[in-house]
Amino acid sequence: MSEMLSYDFMQRAFVAGLFIAILASMSGTFVVLRRYSLMSETLAHSALVGVAVGLVAGYNPLWMAVVVAIASAWLIEYLRSTFSLYSDAILAIMLSGSLAIAVIIVSLGGAFNNSLFSYLFGSILSVTDEDVQTIVIFGTLSLLFLLLFAKELYFIAYDEEVARTSGIKVKFLNFLLVTVVAIIIALSIRVVGSLLIGALMVIPTVAALQYRVGFRNTMLISLFFALFSVVFGMSLSYYYSLPSGATIVLSIIVIFIISLIINKK
Amino acid sequence: MKYELPIFDVKHLNFLVRGQKILSDISFEIFEGEYIAIIGPNGGGKTTLIRMLLGLETPTTGEIKIFGKKLRAFKEWYKIGYVPQRATLVDENFPATVEDIVKMGRIAKRGIFAGVSSEDREMVEDAMIKMDIINLREKMVGTLSGGQRQRVMIARALASAPKILILDEPNTGVDMLSQQRFYTLLAKLNKEENITILFITHDVGVIADDIGRLFTINEKAIICNDPKKTLSCEEVSDLYGINAHALYNHKHEHQQ
Repeated sequence: MSEMLSYDFMQRAFVAGLFIAILASMSGTFVVLRRYSLMSETLAHSALVGVAVGLVAGYNPLWMAVVVAIASAWLIEYLRSTFSLYSDAILAIMLSGSLAIAVIIVSLGGAFNNSLFSYLFGSILSVTDEDVQTIVIFGTLSLLFLLLFAKELYFIAYDEEVARTSGIKVKFLNFLLVTVVAIIIALSIRVVGSLLIGALMVIPTVAALQYRVGFRNTMLISLFFALFSVVFGMSLSYYYSLPSGATIVLSIIVIFIISLIINKK
Repeated sequence: MKYELPIFDVKHLNFLVRGQKILSDISFEIFEGEYIAIIGPNGGGKTTLIRMLLGLETPTTGEIKIFGKKLRAFKEWYKIGYVPQRATLVDENFPATVEDIVKMGRIAKRGIFAGVSSEDREMVEDAMIKMDIINLREKMVGTLSGGQRQRVMIARALASAPKILILDEPNTGVDMLSQQRFYTLLAKLNKEENITILFITHDVGVIADDIGRLFTINEKAIICNDPKKTLSCEEVSDLYGINAHALYNHKHEHQQ
């Protein structure tokens, strides 16, 4: 472990990874309870459009991913509240549409290379100092929002209508939540990859829910699972030269299966 | 403090959906301390009316004032406790203990930046004691019976110290014994705590002795100030159609 952490790139990867584990599991609790699981996948694919634009046009792909993911989140909320369309259908359309646009952009720009591969599946080697700074700045803001509004978001997740009749600004908080989720997803791309971040957001909470404890404990268990899987997954990635996103997600899936077996009714 | 103004002042309310009239020219006032039941056939507009009172639907025309303020300007929503129709149909996997749910009742009143105060803790404790669920506080809501869940939902509504409780068919999924207990609780809250009660029910016979007024809603509203006298079988038949006998007061039949 100490040998692994003696490398600068691993130190950066661990700082970014642990930060992302905290953000993904905290926001993931609300994402799962609000039945927004598919949204996290959709936003991850939308972020890929930003990555593609960044790679082809020469801008920072992480920043572009943040911008496009936020724009997609707002578009989804707008479509959902304005048109009488099924929510999951909107998400499915956005998901496949985003992927198609991303593929076309990278094809036209000739950017099908290792760099794109790292954005799809995550890579501990690719985390730069600038990435860590971006993750820490935006991540801290996102974390502040989640901590500040946790009780309101929990109430909304339990019963949106009753929350609204209690005077909680449901529309505004929904809008902020999807924005923060979009930011967290875009930030996570470097370590976990756009195709796998949805899993890090959803599975720790689903595993924690199997223990049937109150909200606070569910969130803490989910946080522990996410941190553990990131540390374990990144270590596997280092020792076996595997994409970090894949090892992290497989780690959390193993935790989920164990939780399922332990808590079988 | 006694409110001189009505809690709700509703004037000429109309509600249309795609040209179809759901509610037509509804006007009434609700004052502090009243105990009012709303009855009417399914699809008659009862829930729509309540949703408009709570700001969840916007009337096509007409005006609603709450505590003397126009609905849009009203901000003190914690004064209104709401228990929706499906309140007892809890998602069994939702990670919430009884105490977690009751605490929700304090969130809007507390504000964003404030921490949990001793008043918050007292109100939550008090609401759980009143609803006799204090011994269930650590239990997961999904594991409770329908009657217990019902009391949890009312405790959540009571935690914000509301002036009025609005309940939409609160007995859905609740056994008979718990229903009786529930009506006793409502009457007690009304008499002892002076909490105004407005609720939709089909068990009109059961509560006829307790309620002060009866609103019958079937697109239009008929306000009965003496529910026992006014609620003849014929009038209920007119309101509900041919199946009215099933709804009529078994308690009164037994007394006769």
